[in-house]
Amino acid sequence: MAPNRSVPPPPRQIRAYRFPPFLRSRLAGGLEIVAARLPGPPLASLELVAPAGAQYDPEERPGIATLTASVLDEGTDRRSSLEIAATAERLGGYFTAGADWDVGYLATGLLSSHCREGLELLAEVVASPTFPESEVERLRRQRIAEIQRRLQDPGALADDRFHREIYRGTPYAHPLYGTEESIARLTRETLVDFYRGHYGYDGSTLIAVGDFDPEALLRDAENVFGAAAGPPGPTPPRPEIRPAPLTGIGVHVVDRPGAAQTELRVGHAGVSRTNPDYVSLAVLNTLLGGKFTSRINLNLRERHGYTYGATSRFSSRQGPGPFTVNAAVETNAAAAAAREVLHEIRRVREALVEPEELDETRSYMVGVFPYSLQTVGDVTRRLETMVVFGLSDDYYTRYLDKVAATTREEIQEVARRHLDPERIVIVAVGPAEILEPQFEGVGPVTVWTPEGEPRTVVART
Amino acid sequence: MSPQATLDLDLQTHTLGNGLRVILGRQASLPLTAVNLWYHVGSKNERPGRTGFAHLFEHMLFQGSEHVGTNEHFRYVQQVGGVANGSTWYDRTNYYETVPTHQLDLALWLESDRMGFFLPALTQENLDTQRDVVMNERRQRVENQPYGQAGERIHEMLYPEGHPYHWPVIGYMEDIAAATLEEVRTFFRTYYTPNNAVISVVGDIDPGEALGRVEAWFGDIPPGPPVAKVVPPPIRLGGEQRALIPDNVRLPRVYVAFRAPAYGDRLWYTADLLAAVLAGGKSSPLYRDLVYDRQIVQDVGASVGPYECGGTFMLVATARPGVSAEEVEAALLGHLAAAASAPPSEADLERARNRMLTDAYGSLQRLDTLADQLSQFATYFGDPAGGLNEAERYLEITPQELVDYATGWCTEPERVVVSVVPRTAS
Repeated sequence: MAPNRSVPPPPRQIRAYRFPPFLRSRLAGGLEIVAARLPGPPLASLELVAPAGAQYDPEERPGIATLTASVLDEGTDRRSSLEIAATAERLGGYFTAGADWDVGYLATGLLSSHCREGLELLAEVVASPTFPESEVERLRRQRIAEIQRRLQDPGALADDRFHREIYRGTPYAHPLYGTEESIARLTRETLVDFYRGHYGYDGSTLIAVGDFDPEALLRDAENVFGAAAGPPGPTPPRPEIRPAPLTGIGVHVVDRPGAAQTELRVGHAGVSRTNPDYVSLAVLNTLLGGKFTSRINLNLRERHGYTYGATSRFSSRQGPGPFTVNAAVETNAAAAAAREVLHEIRRVREALVEPEELDETRSYMVGVFPYSLQTVGDVTRRLETMVVFGLSDDYYTRYLDKVAATTREEIQEVARRHLDPERIVIVAVGPAEILEPQFEGVGPVTVWTPEGEPRTVVART
Repeated sequence: MSPQATLDLDLQTHTLGNGLRVILGRQASLPLTAVNLWYHVGSKNERPGRTGFAHLFEHMLFQGSEHVGTNEHFRYVQQVGGVANGSTWYDRTNYYETVPTHQLDLALWLESDRMGFFLPALTQENLDTQRDVVMNERRQRVENQPYGQAGERIHEMLYPEGHPYHWPVIGYMEDIAAATLEEVRTFFRTYYTPNNAVISVVGDIDPGEALGRVEAWFGDIPPGPPVAKVVPPPIRLGGEQRALIPDNVRLPRVYVAFRAPAYGDRLWYTADLLAAVLAGGKSSPLYRDLVYDRQIVQDVGASVGPYECGGTFMLVATARPGVSAEEVEAALLGHLAAAASAPPSEADLERARNRMLTDAYGSLQRLDTLADQLSQFATYFGDPAGGLNEAERYLEITPQELVDYATGWCTEPERVVVSVVPRTAS
């Protein structure tokens, strides 16, 4: 029998979702372990996180955290750089090291039957890296070339200018990857010092997820890491990052003459991931710009056709991460698009959201949660969030309840507290001669070269 | 290492009376179900002057149907916690939703409504907006993207005029602007028929019961005329083709490309395995030599496109500052010559085979990629189950076959070399 097509079909019986159970343990040397079983294909993800993110970069050494992390797996007292890579890759896996703003990480993914080998490799790399001078030099040159490449990448230029403007005077103002000058100055000794001060086991966590027995994984980890304490230095306290308040709407144009499109960023400093308002803000953001049917995307893409897509987000950091609206827009419509973004931010502060709109947003976030937890990497990232931001063990269970209970009033309250469309930065990366006149009346306009030099007069032809 | 049978999906396949092929699989680890439709139409079904049409059409299919309003498709899916999207490629267009299992009917309703009742909702206004959106998509992906024009040039040269892979999937700007409402209607009637489609439903379902629901939603959609198969003309370049693209970039990037056999052929897997041997991972020969030892490139990769009428085998590398495109090109060609003269080391072969295996496991972890793989194998080969064991295809390939492939398919007269270089140096 043909079903009734005129209305959406009713749902059937809902099936409950549970976040995968996990075990926790702490070794004598201070290393924390979190292990979860995820049934499925025989894969595992092992990740070691340490308080070694770029927020610890000293003022004169931006980029040291990320460069230190990338040199960690370039040689140990037993293996060369290529031997480390080959050990993981021979088994069809990978080995990687890096850093974000909060943590440095070493990670390997491989078949779950080879977890023991993965743990041994992690332990060897974190405990006995040799920082070979030749590899330091190679990665330093590679990094400088990458920084130069970013000068040609409109999205990277937009992000870098945006962060410089909203975070003036704080470590967040620098690119995560550092600057050409700072990277050129980093010596092997400064990297070794940074390593010693940030990769001790006390303060670090091993996160293991895969199709394995978590009890056995814990035993293996105890055997592999033993009672060792890792590198010696005490971890310095986390820096307090307090960006100076903005004073108005500031427009920053990065000139790319002849560019086919304009990269747009609108936003300001946001809140720490540990802020008690975070979940309400996540609901607010999803409604405002965090899903396809968000206000900002429907406005910019579906109503006006200005862009292929527009999104907003509160980035998760231990310090006050950025609130950013992000879109690549038609150059002739750049200021109009920015005005629409400001309008949407004002609107969500001024009026309560529609009850139906809130219902849709909340049920989207609750319903999509298991979708975001399908792979060993997915579950690893969620556990990492829990560890890095000190969230409680039942956080993800309570998260769903909290999302479901968020009210219209709370949305407006957190919008008023944490969004400020009158003290905000607009960055537009594109042809300045078309962009600059458009933004007259929005706010004072500063024009920059891609290299970061202010340019007061724009040549017009 | 050898592949393990890790997936028992209780796979079932049926063809409805209207020709729609249905694939059902049970994978109950999460309370989710993926619905995935493949229409066997892509940019190769377009004609010059209307390039990009299949992709623009994909956008239109999200603009509503008789019982679903403009933009309501995403809204209905997202408000129950689902995820939806679509994509267009040379040979096919796919549409998919992953929803909480208790909302399976919603996804089937939406997909069957646009397969059966799309035309009444079509408006000029929606077409105008989506043309603007797609033009911005092209600017974002191609024109405002460093190195963004290389892919098009490679295809234009590798597949000369007259071949349906000659033009880019996203299409040329003036063609996107020229699309009309009547062309949208004709395209829909020609290609968006149940007999030109496959639907896969995989998740926390009872396959037998799910088949009944697919039948209920899709069974009464009338079939269309058979779709003519696109048969590309045979190609022989008969001489190396080269292009130099000055772009807004600091570092030169070099692409070396060859046509490859059709996806599914043993020789296609040979090409793909060769790409993994050469550049899959930091311990691969290209990475070892060019990034670690000689330090002349920032990055290097090798890939093979899985196309129905023949793939593209491609090496790509970005030069270090101060290194010329010529030097990078010579290095890439040197490695190809080496691959044609001697089999890879045992270690390199083991690494490449194991990588194929873990990559396959990786994609089978996700319901959406799992369903997509079933639809792909049903559409191209009439064998959805084959998609679950694809990694085994690489194990059969011998070292000598890799040598023979490099010798026979990566030849100078059939080679395309594209270099993107800084504008100032041109």
